[in-house]
Amino acid sequence: MPELPELNPVIHGKLRLALLSLLSGVDDAEFTWLREKTGATDGNLGAQLMKLEEAGYVSVEKKFVQRKPQTLYRMTDGGRAALTEYVQALKQLLGSAVLGDR
Amino acid sequence: MDTETNNLELAERLKLIETMMIEGRRSTESYGWTFVLWGVAYYVAILWAGLGHAYLAWPVTMTAAGVLTGVIIARKRSKKPATTAGRAVGAIWWAMGISMFILLMSMGLSGRADQHTLIAIVAAMLGMANAASSMILKWKLQFACALVWWSLTIYACFGRGTALTIAFLVALFFCQIVFGVYGMMAEARARRQGAIHA
Repeated sequence: MPELPELNPVIHGKLRLALLSLLSGVDDAEFTWLREKTGATDGNLGAQLMKLEEAGYVSVEKKFVQRKPQTLYRMTDGGRAALTEYVQALKQLLGSAVLGDR
Repeated sequence: MDTETNNLELAERLKLIETMMIEGRRSTESYGWTFVLWGVAYYVAILWAGLGHAYLAWPVTMTAAGVLTGVIIARKRSKKPATTAGRAVGAIWWAMGISMFILLMSMGLSGRADQHTLIAIVAAMLGMANAASSMILKWKLQFACALVWWSLTIYACFGRGTALTIAFLVALFFCQIVFGVYGMMAEARARRQGAIHA
């Protein structure tokens, strides 16, 4: 029987997974947009984004637009690779569960 | 039981990824207002031209609509993230808009604006842009609009005077204003659904 893959713990967190999935479909996204889409609180969102940043999965850009501060998050190549790997592992685990039920 | 719960949780994770990816890419419906704006602009230009100022009506109305579109998009863009599909669709419409502007302005200023040729070209361009957008977005309703515009292109080459103008106005109403309002309603519906709490 082949060895089952382990799920990346950094991505496995529900909010972090949602954030990476959201960022995978856009060029970059503002903090407020991510908050609106996930319904997370500022504190929790900031903390989870920081974890993703520390893991090298997202990059942050801070700038001013019309004198207002704007924080933009972008998925890195590493983040994209990690998410792809995570999805493959997830599918493999679910596939093995289906086969195991038979 | 634990294994079953675990599997359910994994399946839920997969569903969450799918939902969030779709949510992230959903940016195109917010352009419904542009269809309405341009639909109204065409009506204004046609009405104005009908009053006998065709050389001014088209360039002025189209320029005003273009500037207004640019300003509103710039204001909206700071709130919504850009997507690859969104940029592709945007590029098609900007390119079509610039082509149409150059054409209408030149025809208007030169006074060589033959109604049949004008409607045929405008309808063909709108058909092209709608078709290309619908293929990128996989939106059948927009492709139906493209079919209407292409049909009008053919009709403009064979049809006559008043009937052609009426056909153009009807196509404008359904493929710009009704379609635009539908887009805006879809966007409002999506907003009402609110956040997908992770």
